[in-house]
Amino acid sequence: MNQSRREFIKKAAALSAASCVGIQLPFVLSNAEAADQGASWHRGSCRLCGVGCRLELGVKNGQPIALRGVPEARTNFGYLCMKGMNFWKCMRHPDRLTKPLYRAKKTDKFQEISWEKAIDIAADKFAEAHKSGGGAAVAYYGSGQALTEETYLFQKIMRGGLQSNNVEGNPRLCMASAVGGYQTSFGADEPIGGYADIEKAHCFFIIGSNTAEAHPVLFRRIMRRKLDNPDTVKVINVDPRISQTSRIADKHLQFKPGTDLTLLNGMAHVICQEKLYDEEFISKYAAFHKGTEKVSLAEYRAQLAAYTPEEVARVCGGGFTPDDVRVVARWFAQSKGTVSLWTMGLNQRKQGVFANNLVHNLHILTGQLLKDGADSLSLTGQPNACGGVREAGGLCHILPGHRPIENDKMRGQVEAAWGLPAGRIPNGGGLHTMAMFQALNEGKIKALWINCTNPAQSLPNLSKYEAGFKREDNFIVCTDIFPTLTTQCANLVLPTAFHFEKTGVYGCTERRSQLTKKAIDAPGQAKPEVWIAREWAKKLAEKLADPLIAQCVKAFDGLEEGYALPKAIWDEYSQKITAGRDSDLRGATYAVLETMADGAQWPAPTEAHAKTGGTVKKFVKGRDPLADAATTNGDSPYQFYTPGHDDHKLWIWLRDQAQPEEIPDAEYPFYLSTGRIVDHWHTMTMTGRIPELLRANPYAYVEINPKDAGRMGIGPGDMIEVKSRRGRNLLPAKVIDGPLEGMVFVYWHDQHPDRLINKVTIDAVDAASKEPEFKICAAQIKRVSGPQALTPYLV
Amino acid sequence: MKRRDTLSLILGAALATWLAAPGAAWATAGRWFSPIRRNRLRPPGAVAEAQFLARCIRCGRCLEVCPYHAIVMLDIRHALHAGTPLIAVENIPCYLCMKCVAVCPTGSLRPIGQKETRMGLAVIDHYSCLAWRGDTLCRTCYDKCPFANVAIRLEQLRPVIDEGACVGCGLCVNACPITVAEDGGKAINIEPVYAGNAA
Ligand code: SF4
Repeated sequence: MNQSRREFIKKAAALSAASCVGIQLPFVLSNAEAADQGASWHRGSCRLCGVGCRLELGVKNGQPIALRGVPEARTNFGYLCMKGMNFWKCMRHPDRLTKPLYRAKKTDKFQEISWEKAIDIAADKFAEAHKSGGGAAVAYYGSGQALTEETYLFQKIMRGGLQSNNVEGNPRLCMASAVGGYQTSFGADEPIGGYADIEKAHCFFIIGSNTAEAHPVLFRRIMRRKLDNPDTVKVINVDPRISQTSRIADKHLQFKPGTDLTLLNGMAHVICQEKLYDEEFISKYAAFHKGTEKVSLAEYRAQLAAYTPEEVARVCGGGFTPDDVRVVARWFAQSKGTVSLWTMGLNQRKQGVFANNLVHNLHILTGQLLKDGADSLSLTGQPNACGGVREAGGLCHILPGHRPIENDKMRGQVEAAWGLPAGRIPNGGGLHTMAMFQALNEGKIKALWINCTNPAQSLPNLSKYEAGFKREDNFIVCTDIFPTLTTQCANLVLPTAFHFEKTGVYGCTERRSQLTKKAIDAPGQAKPEVWIAREWAKKLAEKLADPLIAQCVKAFDGLEEGYALPKAIWDEYSQKITAGRDSDLRGATYAVLETMADGAQWPAPTEAHAKTGGTVKKFVKGRDPLADAATTNGDSPYQFYTPGHDDHKLWIWLRDQAQPEEIPDAEYPFYLSTGRIVDHWHTMTMTGRIPELLRANPYAYVEINPKDAGRMGIGPGDMIEVKSRRGRNLLPAKVIDGPLEGMVFVYWHDQHPDRLINKVTIDAVDAASKEPEFKICAAQIKRVSGPQALTPYLV
Repeated sequence: MKRRDTLSLILGAALATWLAAPGAAWATAGRWFSPIRRNRLRPPGAVAEAQFLARCIRCGRCLEVCPYHAIVMLDIRHALHAGTPLIAVENIPCYLCMKCVAVCPTGSLRPIGQKETRMGLAVIDHYSCLAWRGDTLCRTCYDKCPFANVAIRLEQLRPVIDEGACVGCGLCVNACPITVAEDGGKAINIEPVYAGNAA
């Protein structure tokens, strides 16, 4: 549905009228206090980004009326960004899906059907697919925005019930390289420290992250730290593009996309050359690795010898001087505490895991780890990518509780916990995201469940995967709250309850699990995913005559879906599955989480520990109860107790510069990178329906360096064709000293077919993490016409 | 009261009397004053408002050439001002493409550049601005400003306008999420402070 701005505003006006029943004030946002009269406030987490801000939803007469921050929460201290402040406005939007919709063929029109019928069809199609091709013919594609209970239950049914490891989710597109980096460098996924380090840091190293826009409230904490200590706190920003984040930087190093591996090695070179490393720390806790071999510090230094500051400045494109490299290396190494922060700039890369390793290297070398104010902190994009997907088994290669799938013992533990016979969960065989959609293209996957995400907009090289979505010989179920480009490819669309319309846990960037309880009813017939999954599994068991499928949901049968059901799922997951693992959440029961302003950071093996907020620093004796109990590192203060590294050490990796998949050439002379804007979340299915946010950013544009624009006769607002070997876009230009000369940058939220930048991006993946290289490809740009008035577009 | 105000008052009163027939209830006295007020601005390069009426021949070329449909033509309800161009920035702001100033045949819109444009001055209402109230981390105006860090800076996370650099394009007003007045007034508004100055 293409709506004009006028229609949109009309709709929005109707919406706010509807959602403000009983309130005279039209200006709810600036009058949250006034709205307070008679409203009840319900605590939960923000639905949007990975910061995990805590907030309260104001409810009056069963309708949402406002959101406000929770001042006591250790994630945000009461602050919210515009998205967090406003998302209640999409909750009662007239576009909400409220009835199950079905069509036999994807070219047919959707018909409204009953839930009974819908569950029956979903079970029937999956059963049919399973009979024809077993576990390989079915797949689940989930989301870092689904609640932990939801991801856990879906993957349980898929693995334990349908014996399929085709369990994936959109974190493959965003966090997989960070997971790979943590596992290979530290032997355990997820950061050692957390947000509390920000207020104690003396140096921030921000690389490949526009924190100011993608994690606004966290950025506020960094900025506050810098503004309060302008002389003693240094901020280093390393990015090919000058962004809002660069504004607080003491030094901003702009490099040619893809050459950051050289820069990071160059910093390590300076650290070694000037003996800025922490010799004692390295000798006790670090080991050096190259490929599959162990090497020595001397060999490591020898390999770094080529990365002289002069060579680094040259390779990176001459945007900074050799001395800049020396200065940032010194700041990094010599500060009282250095925190590195990164997101997609490092992760969404063909060399994503290597880039992550190289950041960790700097921390291990300098001992900028494990102490207050120092951490190698990967920022998560989504609110529950860490908690739900990384921890609860949402990717094909990991079982819940950080268990690698190929480990027999680990599968055995999970099978036992689920009451399934040994060998029920297959050993591997699951397809990672890009392989999964390739298999859909090839007709190998016959039934696909897409939950709470929008791959028809968010996959790279989109046109290639359209074929699979459109095939008539597969069956696609979508569970979502709004129509999306993906629901347009579905056979069955199931309306789900939104945040605060159901209960569950989100785990944010810093290992913190936080509960959001149901505060209002979902509109129409929308249902929580856990109910849908349970009912579906019961029907599947009937159709496939397999009692072990029913066994997966037996403990949850009959429970009320608003609270009792998710609680039972959480209890099973936290008590049985995380017990004895590093992500131990046994203390973080609903009862404990309900009393907390925020939530608990794992390891949280006991309720008493969880209530204090849990573990602020992993691996540190006196702070991490699992470290207290461990003896893996003798009697030293740090205990690397996880089994990932057999020597229980932190590994420094020799990783040479390696190139991105595509480098600009004569035909496609520009680098293209993509990213987010502060006001829109991902594919704007929610934020596009919030008038205040849409108004500020009604459509995407392409950022072009003034030098390139001048050379090519491009003026502000001119319509530009951005084209790669895979597809083209037509977008208005913003001429701005942001991207490096020879590089353009496009926002990826826009749903309009002309401005779907993922038609242009590349689907090459990191060899280890299988995460695609959204951030770098080669493109050509061409001025097509002068400025044109555009209207916002939502399906 | 300035001379032009006196003049237009007299003129307006005379015309109002002349036209105020029964049934013409729309002909309220306000219609006879200049339509230029907060967030209702002339396009870039406009001569002083006192001269605009006499110079502009209502040819509509500026409005035709505006790619964003930001410029509207005042209709007959604006009597003397009917046919003259206006930008209501909270509806569609000026994107400073500077096409209109190039086509104006009468010099009512003088051929100036983006940076010299002075359609008005952005003024922040500190009582309703979210950032100033400390309610939330909003910096929409700052993000939208075509001269970010020059015309709008962030000081201690709050937006501050530089009077010497703000061109009054209204992009900030258009994007501001806070509507505080019936007429679409926002937490940041453009006041046409220069409408009386330039010759
Ligand atoms: S920073 Fe993220 S979590 Fe916090 S309010 Fe904004 S979108 Fe929500």
